[in-house]
Amino acid sequence: MNADLSPLELLTATPLFAVGLTLVAYLIGNRLFQHLKRPSWLPAILIAALLLAGALSLIGLPYPTYQEGAIWLTVLLGPATVALGMPLYQQLPRIVELWRPLAICLPIAATLAAFYALAIAWLLGSSDTILASIAAKSVTAPIAIGITEQLGGKVSLLLGALLVTGVITIPCVSIAARLLHINDERLIGFALGLNGHAIGTVRAFEISPAAGAFASLGMSLTGIFTAVLLPLAWRLLGMSSGYA
Amino acid sequence: MPALSGFLWLISYWLIGEVVIYFTGLPVSSGVIGMLLLCATLALYGRVPSSIAAAAQPLIALLAMLIMPGVVGVFFIIGELAGQWTAILIALVVGTLLSVVTTLWLLKRLIGQSYER
Repeated sequence: MNADLSPLELLTATPLFAVGLTLVAYLIGNRLFQHLKRPSWLPAILIAALLLAGALSLIGLPYPTYQEGAIWLTVLLGPATVALGMPLYQQLPRIVELWRPLAICLPIAATLAAFYALAIAWLLGSSDTILASIAAKSVTAPIAIGITEQLGGKVSLLLGALLVTGVITIPCVSIAARLLHINDERLIGFALGLNGHAIGTVRAFEISPAAGAFASLGMSLTGIFTAVLLPLAWRLLGMSSGYA
Repeated sequence: MPALSGFLWLISYWLIGEVVIYFTGLPVSSGVIGMLLLCATLALYGRVPSSIAAAAQPLIALLAMLIMPGVVGVFFIIGELAGQWTAILIALVVGTLLSVVTTLWLLKRLIGQSYER
């Protein structure tokens, strides 16, 4: 008998509850997004995340318990990231066409993506731990977590910074593209992936497969570049590090 | 069945990524290594096998849902950093706006130049 268990404990005994809750929030989030005529300042993922957070606190399910069950979904992130190799291959001719400007732009833009936020936070008096936690804000989550641990930052804060950055990148790109008279979806996609990691890449795939492929390229190259350079720069600047 | 064998390919490339990282100590994720290896393999092979397409397409479409569990975590750390949030938010929002403008401006200039040549 399950007389000792509350209904919530009974349901969360299997990961299916967390998985089902995520699916529901995702589907409703998408439906609402379509219903609101796809506002660029409120992406579907933010609506879904707000709904999910609301549902968790409403039923009193602690986040760690939810997260444990939702691992059944997040484990698919690995093969899904590998899957991005397919659009990347399909757009290879168009990427090769632009390899020179992309190769020059990437190191500069990826460095500045970290630098601007760090400089502003530093000027506003943020602690070293906070700086270390937001440094990888433009990097895709699986890489950014590794970088943040290496720098001695807090992973939970990093994930928050990733959400804000990803969400804010989408309207920023559409505003900046309008101001600079850019309507080449390859460039828009590359900027979305470079600055807004997976959230920007998801948005780019909504624009077109070409934009999505350039976003995957921007996302993966930024991840690789930042992972190599940031810990090095941290040591040169004499910042405190997880290894010190 | 094609989707299943395609999925097995994706998992295999991810696992190869893990092994590559174990032996080289590269500071990257196995997913990204797997993505680059898959892209290189497809380039050598010359086309996308239907099994890989059958598995990759739905997974890419679900990407947004797969990152949701991590993303929700943010709402549960808000209390931890009381008083610091304004500085962090300003840094993230203004920093992202500046870096997006720089990226697009740089791309436009560089590509304008390459068209001129």
